[in-house]
Amino acid sequence: MKFNHACKLILKNLFLIFILTSGVHGNENVNDKVKKLTLELRCMTCQNQSIYDSDADFSIDIKKLVKQKFHEGKTESEIKKFLVERYGEYILFRPLINFKNLFLWLFPFTILAIVTVFLIFSARKK
Amino acid sequence: MSSLIGFLALFISLVLNLFLLSSIPLINLSIVRFNFLIRISAILTLTSFFSLMVAYVTSDFNNFNVFQNSHSQKPMIYKISGTWGNHEGSMLLWISILSIYAFFFSFSKKIDDKLKKQTLLIQTSLHILFSLFIILTSNPFLINSVIVDEGLGLNPILQDPGLAIHPPVLYAGYVGYSIIFSLAIAGLLQKEKNNEWLYLAKKWSLISWTFLTGGIALGSYWAYYELGWGGWWFWDPVENISLMPWIAGLALVHSLLMIKGEQILKKWIIFLSILCFSLSIFGTFLVRSGILTSVHSFAADASRGLFILLIFFLITGFGFLIFLLKSPDNSGKINLLFINKVSALVINNVLMIVTTLTILLGTIYPIIVEVITNERISVGGPYFNSTVIPIMIPGFLLMSIAPVLSWQTNKIKNYRYYVIGFILISLLVLFYSYFTIFNPWGILGLILGFWIIIASFLAIILSYKLKLNFNFFKKINSHIAHIGVGIAIIGITCSSVFKNEYQYNLKQGDEFKIKNNKIIFENVETSNEKNYQALRINFVITDKDRVLSTIKAGKNYYPTSKIITTEAGILHQWFRDVYFIVGEQKNNEWFIKVYINPFVSFIWLGVIIMIYSGFIGATKR
Repeated sequence: MKFNHACKLILKNLFLIFILTSGVHGNENVNDKVKKLTLELRCMTCQNQSIYDSDADFSIDIKKLVKQKFHEGKTESEIKKFLVERYGEYILFRPLINFKNLFLWLFPFTILAIVTVFLIFSARKK
Repeated sequence: MSSLIGFLALFISLVLNLFLLSSIPLINLSIVRFNFLIRISAILTLTSFFSLMVAYVTSDFNNFNVFQNSHSQKPMIYKISGTWGNHEGSMLLWISILSIYAFFFSFSKKIDDKLKKQTLLIQTSLHILFSLFIILTSNPFLINSVIVDEGLGLNPILQDPGLAIHPPVLYAGYVGYSIIFSLAIAGLLQKEKNNEWLYLAKKWSLISWTFLTGGIALGSYWAYYELGWGGWWFWDPVENISLMPWIAGLALVHSLLMIKGEQILKKWIIFLSILCFSLSIFGTFLVRSGILTSVHSFAADASRGLFILLIFFLITGFGFLIFLLKSPDNSGKINLLFINKVSALVINNVLMIVTTLTILLGTIYPIIVEVITNERISVGGPYFNSTVIPIMIPGFLLMSIAPVLSWQTNKIKNYRYYVIGFILISLLVLFYSYFTIFNPWGILGLILGFWIIIASFLAIILSYKLKLNFNFFKKINSHIAHIGVGIAIIGITCSSVFKNEYQYNLKQGDEFKIKNNKIIFENVETSNEKNYQALRINFVITDKDRVLSTIKAGKNYYPTSKIITTEAGILHQWFRDVYFIVGEQKNNEWFIKVYINPFVSFIWLGVIIMIYSGFIGATKR
């Protein structure tokens, strides 16, 4: 059918446009980078608050430190590594993908995949 | 005096419940007498609860619990809410609600006597377990051994109208699942062939779910204006814990919908019923044990934690054991087509349970890692955002049209309209964001939100005859609920992705501009309130020389507990909130943070719609 074909075409291109344009807007300045990183760091002296949102002395210091490191040309993962060495993994709200946390990261999508496959098979049988 | 009455009432209700439980093998009580005793027990439990409340209201410091958690200078509302603002009182509230549910359930008619008795018997056993817990480890009626004329006071952060009613509403949700648990277990034990009880389960699960929604919303609204962090959801362990039975309960409500299509996954429904209540008790255990540090864990006491852990294993173990031993045969044929209502409901259930398990894992993973490796890790917002949201997306895409899918075939009526609608929305949102702020998550959220709303409206228009009476609203109830979700998604997306933040150092008389609004730091005022000292800065917000409003933001100092709380000032508008926080003062200048939170009101609006349709759904058969 013509109608269906047209719809499919648009839907496909929609996805393409989406992917392409999100790449174009990828340029970030230092402040954005600092924001992005500090939002994922725990303020060690507060209760479950991110460093970005917190105004505790600890957070103010870390924000300065992160900004300085970015100016020195360090990458995000280098800064994270530095902070983990200094304060432990507890500071990261986004757990590292390592052996210890493998189960944590794999579990949701693995179980979803298994159930999906199972459902498709049981539907096909009928 | 009231403490004595309270304790006696609690004790007698325990004895009465023990009698009810032991009556089964000994004497055969008629259902009328059985119901009567259940109601008496509920009234006794409530008497106990209200006695404690009287002790709080009259500031009876001879009661140790009142002495520790109250203060004669507190406003009346916080004296009342003080009753459940502590561990012991909140457990008494828990058990009171448990017996209120039993009380109302004893009046239900469309259920055969044997099943009803069995259900109430299980409810009775739960009552016994929790009253033992209260009497043995958390007695709120202990006598203060010292004579004093003043109490120690309630945590100031809890002195807030929203939080005063948050626990009872939340518990009404948590504990409501007890009835469904009891019903499911009773059904299993009786090998119930008749499916009539599923309708009852649907009603009660909708009621609990609706209360839970209200409780969670009150909690997060409180977090929004009281914590002063500019956000309303932080993936805090305690928030996650309340979210788990909420999502599992949502799955339960949806799976119970399948009764209509006469395709019942009975096993699955029973499993979910047990799961919901288990998650509720698990939440109580985690919060009360003090394993999770948060504003909610008042008293960290290992023996209590162990006791609740024991109760948790007993109830959950018992529940799932009965489930394994007596699980019904899945005789019903399931009509899974590529896309019909049944498969949509199955997909929805799968996604919701995977989400629940993910949240559960993320919440307890740090504890597990600490126990095994002795290292501390955090699992915070970024983890949940990058797992939970992608998992839920297919569900959101589906929910807009799911209510109009057919039970039997895989044809969607008028599907062209939906396809065109989806494409139009996507193009518009993409186009719009290309010229404003481009954020992939923002685009995704907006498309989903608008798609759900518009497709639900389309479905209503295309599939029903428009009439303005109560019956019509009952019929389109599921669409209305989904529209609520769509509105909430737009609110959630905008307020988290398009939030703007501004920081200033200001002194009196300074002005600053945010977009088209001029904001003036007018003055600082301090005042002495009943039990705290307040400091407020008045901000005058003008829009083109017209004064919109004056917002007060500041801090409170509570001398009794020597705590300072931040009091955010919020200008609520339909399309955005202007949110003020006052920080430290340095060299006569105040540090001020202003957030522009777009569309926050949509979140609360969406939630209110969901609550509305929850209650409407409960009136439906």
